[in-house]
Order: sequence, then C-alpha cells, then structure tokens
Amino acid sequence: MKKVLSILFILAMMLAVNPMSVSASEHSSEQVDPKAVIFEHLGDTYGWAAPFSHSTYIPLPVIVRDYAGQWHVFSSARVEHGASYNGFKIAETGENKGKIVEVKADGSEYRPLDLSITKNVAALFISALVVVLCVMRIRHWYRKNPLKAPRKGTAFLELIVEFVYNTVIRPTLGKKSSKFGPYLLTVFFLIFVMNLLGLIVIFPGGANLTGNIAVTMVLALFTFFMTNVFGTKHYWKEVFWPDVPWWLKVPLPIMPMIELFGLFTKPAALTVRLFANMMGGHIIVLVLTLLIFIFGAFGTAVMGVTTVFSVAFSLFMLLLDTLVSFIQAFVFTMLSALFISLAQESHGDELEI
Amino acid sequence: MELFSPDFGLIFWMFVTVLLLVLLLGKFGWPFIVKSLEERANLIDKGVEYAQEAKSQLENAQKEAAKYVTEAQKQQAEILREAAKMKSQIIEEAKGAAAVEAKKVMDAAKVSIEQARKESEMQFRSEVSRFALQIAEKVVRKDLADEKSQAELVEKLLNEVETKN
Repeated sequence: MKKVLSILFILAMMLAVNPMSVSASEHSSEQVDPKAVIFEHLGDTYGWAAPFSHSTYIPLPVIVRDYAGQWHVFSSARVEHGASYNGFKIAETGENKGKIVEVKADGSEYRPLDLSITKNVAALFISALVVVLCVMRIRHWYRKNPLKAPRKGTAFLELIVEFVYNTVIRPTLGKKSSKFGPYLLTVFFLIFVMNLLGLIVIFPGGANLTGNIAVTMVLALFTFFMTNVFGTKHYWKEVFWPDVPWWLKVPLPIMPMIELFGLFTKPAALTVRLFANMMGGHIIVLVLTLLIFIFGAFGTAVMGVTTVFSVAFSLFMLLLDTLVSFIQAFVFTMLSALFISLAQESHGDELEI
Repeated sequence: MELFSPDFGLIFWMFVTVLLLVLLLGKFGWPFIVKSLEERANLIDKGVEYAQEAKSQLENAQKEAAKYVTEAQKQQAEILREAAKMKSQIIEEAKGAAAVEAKKVMDAAKVSIEQARKESEMQFRSEVSRFALQIAEKVVRKDLADEKSQAELVEKLLNEVETKN
C-alpha cells in the first residue's frame, strides 16, 4: 500500500513538472518528430549523450581509414554539431545519414572504413567488462571458499549460471557440455547483460545493442560456426544424403537442398528473433513516452491524463522487458545448444546423456 | 534503414569482443566455476547420503538398544526371581543346618551331662567309701581291742552298704 502511494506521488510530481517543460519547448518552438526521436534512440551515435542532456555528448574515439588508405583517430567531439575535421564530417542527408563521411576534393562524399568506438561499441565493451567482472567474482569466491555456497550477489550470479547450465546445457548436450558449455554460458551472460544495460536510459546503459541486427548477427554466426565446425560425419551425411526415399535425392537433390538451406535459416532465425524482440520492446517504451509529447499539443489536461497512462504502461513494459531480457538470452542459449547438439549426433543413436 | 543494415564497425568490434570473451572465459572462467559447482553438488549429495545412512544406522541402533533393554529387563526379572528362590532356599538350608547343629549340641550336652552325672556318682561313691573308711577307722580305733565286735561291725556295715545299694 505504501509503495502504491509512493508511485502515485511520483506520478503526481510528473504531472506537476510536465507543463513547465511543455511551455519551455513551446518557447523554443521545437516540434517533436516521433520517428526521428525513435530512430535516434534505437540507432548508433559517435558520441554518447550525457545523462539528462541532448546537447552535450561524452566524446568517444573515431577510427576511420580514408580514401588514400590512411588511418585517422580523433575524438568524436571534433565532428559534433556539423563540424568538420580533416575533411571528415557526419553526413546529414543521403544514404550515409548519421555516419562519418570524407568530403573529397571534388565535393563528393566517400564513406570510409569505419571502426569507430561508437556508442554501441562502447556499450558492448562495458557489457563485456560487466560479464568478466561477474564471472571473476564467482571464480574468486570458489578460489577462496571451495565447496562452500556463495552468499548475496555472488549467490544470485551462481544461481543463474547453475540454472542455465543444468536446465539447458547439460540436458541438451550431455557429455559434450564441458566442450560447448563455456561458449553457451558466455553468450548467455553477454546477451543478458546487454539486454539489461539497454533498459537503463542513461549513460552506462541506453545503447540498443541486442536490438541491433549487427550484434545479433555476429552472435548467430558464432553459433553457426560452433555448430558446423564441430559437426560430426553423421551430421554432414544427414545434410547431403538424408534418410529419405532416393527419388527425393536423385536426380533432383530436393532434400539436400532443403537441408542445406536449413543450415542458414537457423542462424537467421536466431538473429531476427533476438533483434526483433529487443527492438520491439524498446520501440513500445519509446512510443509510449512520445505519446505524452504528441498529445501535449491538445492542451495541458489531455497531456496530464496521457502522462499518467503512458508512465504506467511504460513502467509495465519495462518490467516486461526485464523479463524478456532474461527470456531472450535464455532462448538464444537454448536454441544454440540445440543446434550444436543436433550436429553432435553420431550414427543414428540418440546423444548419450 | 540503419537498423536493418548492419554496420561494419560494430560487426568487427562485436566479433573481436565475443571472440576474446569466449576465449578468456572459456579458459579461465567457466570450466573452473562449473567444476566447483559440480564438486559442491557431489559433496552435498554425499552429505545427504551420509545423513540418510547415519539416520538408518541410528534407527537400527535404537532398535537394538530397545531389544537389549527388554532383554536386560527379562534377565533382571529372572535374576530377581532366582534370587528370591535362592534366598528362601538358603533360609531353609540355614534352618536345617541350625536344627542339626542344635541337635548335635543337645546330644553333646546330654552326653556330657550323663558323663558328669556318672563322674559325680563315682566321686560320690568314692567319697562315701572314704567316709565309710574314715568312719570305720574311727570305729576301728575305738574298738581295736575287741576283734569280735570289730568283725561284727564290718559285717554290719557291709550289709548296710549292700542294702543301701
């Protein structure tokens, strides 16, 4: 009851604050463009927006190779707000919008090879660091107290490790779990941490990493490689010469083609599932928040009502996204384990557990 | 649209990061943690097994103890009964022995009494004969001259003694 009251109090505070910000934005005559705001939040930037500010950016290194093959490293602060540095600037229009381009002598834009530490890359490093710290914490505990159960935070981390290992990896992979377990656990923790950090709106979080197709694609490709590089002879036989009536294989290799196609649909499904789920969650929260500003045009009363509903639904969606963060990381790990175990079958018999 | 066209820079860094992370954690992190987890699980399993065994052993021991207690009680009752029996037997025996002893003492007493009586009789007899002799002596001394009366007296006395006996 006390909690409900405090939530209502916070909502009332928001109601009181919002009209002021609205009047401020009216003064600066800014028109909210929902689409632009959404894609700005989902996309990547060269600097990282400082907490609670849209004009100041935390500078990050830009690493590019120009047309002549020369590498350039400079701070993203140098190309902020349309500035140009050494011929590099952030394109404002065209197909490279928002990306760094090199303006050549003849005025045409060239998209250089871009290995910049952007907001997403920095968030990725932070996530990886968090994963390493978490793992080292558990490891440190077992170094100091072998055969003793951890307490508090370490116990929670260990709970997740044990849950993933004993409900997914071991039942699926059996004897091979010690071989593929480390990869699957790493992937699980990385996705989980990236998902959770993505839900935090300010600095160390806020990057839409797992809602970015590049990130999910790389993860799926790792699973693809793990599956096929360590695949058994039997697995490859099943792909190219499956156990079906001969006329499905000769003269027209229908089944082998389907199986071969299936090799690539698996990682594609992994990519899109994680990407779409996480991006969808982000978009819903963003849209719910933007509703406040869209309805703000109809007056303070409408805006007040919208604020209450939007905040309530955003809160609900964020809680749901927290659950989805775990579920998607779990599902990715589970499917990876499944694909890998399918490639580990040998001579028709079931995998020994 | 940017969201659906993967950016090369991010792909590159993602690839490098995941590769390093998998190698690093796969070498130093997970195997050790999983091994520790398994060792602990085994220890707990063993502990549970041990506890169950100990419990069953305790139950057995309790059963055995109860058995011993009832047995001991039985033995105790038997011993008590036997002791009671022995007690009465000893009393009986003692009584018998006492009776025999008493009889023996009585017999011995009787014999000694008889002996004493005989002795005293003998003594009395000798005393009497001594007295008689003394008397006779006195009489003899008085009537030494008169042989006739002496013989008469002896005769008379002897007769007297004989009749007395």
